[in-house]
Parts: sequence; structure tokens; C-alpha cells
Amino acid sequence: MPNLLPSLACNLDLDLLAAALPLLEEARVDGLEWSFDALFQTRQVPAWFLDLLTAFGQEKRLVAHGVFFSLFSGKWSEGQRQWLKTLSEASQRYRFDHVTEHFGFMTGQNFHHGAPLAIPYTATTLAIGQDRLARIQEAAQCPVGLENLAFSYSVEDVKRHGEFLEKLIEPVNGFIILDLHNLYCQLHNFSVSFEELIPFYPLERVREIHISGGSWEDSLTTPAKKIRRDTHDNGVPEEVFNLLTQTLPLCPNLKYVVLEQLGNSLKTEQSKTQFYQDYLRMEAIVRDFNATHLNPIPEPERFLPPQATFSAELVEDEALYAQQVELSSILETAGSYEEAQQKLRTSTLAHSAWQVEQWEPAMLETAISLAQKWKKK
Amino acid sequence: MNIPKSVLSAILLGITVQ
Repeated sequence: MPNLLPSLACNLDLDLLAAALPLLEEARVDGLEWSFDALFQTRQVPAWFLDLLTAFGQEKRLVAHGVFFSLFSGKWSEGQRQWLKTLSEASQRYRFDHVTEHFGFMTGQNFHHGAPLAIPYTATTLAIGQDRLARIQEAAQCPVGLENLAFSYSVEDVKRHGEFLEKLIEPVNGFIILDLHNLYCQLHNFSVSFEELIPFYPLERVREIHISGGSWEDSLTTPAKKIRRDTHDNGVPEEVFNLLTQTLPLCPNLKYVVLEQLGNSLKTEQSKTQFYQDYLRMEAIVRDFNATHLNPIPEPERFLPPQATFSAELVEDEALYAQQVELSSILETAGSYEEAQQKLRTSTLAHSAWQVEQWEPAMLETAISLAQKWKKK
Repeated sequence: MNIPKSVLSAILLGITVQ
């Protein structure tokens, strides 16, 4: 009997917990995903929240989802060392079934500030990413995965993303979170079809799927086109439910299907009701799939590393780090798309592996918006 | 998954009184 687990992304957020409580009371939630590194502003954690984590951890149904590690930063930071320490201690306490992080590097100079942006797919970034994943695996002592990014600068990057993810996780025998709303952003923003893009992803490596909502943003550089953004602040669109139905049969090692939504978008009764209905619809799709497919549930051993991959020597690249700092500065301070484009042309990123000359105007515009939004946080 | 009722009650109380 297969058993894909309908699951919730749940953090110490009162609005999110209030929306999730009916689902927990009705025993509909079979797995819990916790952004363990989002508690940095909280001095004290209520005992009842720790009890909730423990309840899922004891059943091996608790997974950790990192936000702030900044996998591809060219320079190792004290924040990353502390992040690993926190992960190690949390892993010993809660028995995570697996741990995941996001693709990209974070803009901004301070840990816990900034937005994740894409990086060039080079031997240097591959080595840094593999090194960091090995350190995460060493700290967590459980399977490690990476989530596909919603943002890309060009359609070429979109099509190479899956292959690069596969290379990154190979040394740790890792897995992928396939975020279907992130995929939806790529499909829409680059006018690519699901059938065209999905073969580029290593679907046998997908252990977790995310669904969520997002929002539309006007583009000044491409007025006829709206940009889809992964803001997690709305209900799940019909297109994403359709993607879920299409994707489930393609992922033989899938275990968790997770609904995500931010608590700040769950303050009204109407939004809580929509969240509840979205979860029930996701749950129905998953349970229907369980009832008609006979693959055994994958075990963690499927994605445990075959041998130790951890090396004491840090992989860093000063030139990459300098480019990341320069790009962050340009995006965070540009008064307009034109200003950012002009600065990029005369930056160290010009005529480099970053291929800034190929970046789509609407996506550079979005990167500016992202960097400036999160700089203020 | 069934959550212990004591945990659910504590969550409800925690949400209510913050």
C-alpha cells in the first residue's frame, strides 16, 4: 500500500497555526515541514509548539526546511557555521526525516536578510554547492535535499536548472523538492510548457513536492506581460493543482506533498477557509493517488549518502564572492531597470559566466524588486 | 496523523492567549 503523505509547512506563526489547527484536529496532516531557522527573532518558544514538533518527530514525519543558509555564497560566513550548529542540535532533538534548503545565494551582507538569486552554472559554483550540501548532511545526519528556484534570468537557465540540481545532490545521494508553484512561475514567465520543461528535471530524485499560491506583478519593461511571483500569500491556483495531478505519477520516490502559505496572508476568516479548502483538495488528490498506485513508500535509506562526503577543507571563491557582492549592491541601489543594466555592463559580471547580456529585462526588473524588498526586512 | 489531544488543546490555548 503506497502512502504519500499530505503535509503542511508549519512555523511558529499564530495565524498559520490557527488556520492549521482544524486540519490537525481532524488528523488530516500526515507530515510537518518546519522552517527551523526562522526562529532567530524568537527568544522563547512555547512548550506547546515544541510538543507539536516532537509529536511529528516521534513518528518520523517531521522534516526541516532551511531558508537562510545561502548555499552558493562564495565566501563561508560565521552565520553559516552557526546555522549548521543550530541544525545539528535541532536534528538530535527532533529526529528529522530529512532536511532541505533553497537554491541560490542570498543578497545582503547580513545573515537573515536578503533574497535568494540564481547563480551561474559553473564548476566553481558546483563545487561550492556540493561542499555546503555535504556539511548540511554531516550536521543533520539524515537525507538532504534542495528546492528548485522560482527565479531565473533567462530561459537557458530554466532549462539547465534540473540538470545542475542533479549534479549538486549527487555526492550526498540527495533529493529534490519540486516546488510546483516555482515551476509554474518558470512556465509562465518564460512561456515554456510543462511537457517541454519537466523532462529536464531528475524526477526519480523528487522526495517532496510543494504547492502554494503567489501573485502577479506588472512589468515596466514588458508591459504586455505580467510576472508570476512566488509570494506564498494567496490560495493555490487551479494551474498548480493541475500540475500536481500531472506530476505525481512521474515521481517514483516521492513521499511528502506539502501545502505552503505565509501566516501574514491568513488573518481573515475567508483566507483561513480558503486555506482549509486548498488543503482538503490537495489531500484528496494525494489519497486518490495512494488508492490507485501500488509502489511501496520510499525509505530514508534511498537518499542516504553511500559514504562520507565531508571534507574539512572549505571550498570558497573570492572572485565569485566579489561578483555576488557587486550584483547585490547594484540590485539593492538601482533607481531603475536602465540604471541597473548600465551598471551591470561596466561591472565584473559583464562578459562572464553570469551572462548578464542574456538576462531578460523583465527578470532583471524582478531581481531589483526582490533585492530591494528584502533589503528592508 | 493523530496528534495527542493534550498537544492540540495546548496549541488552541497558545493561539488564544498568544
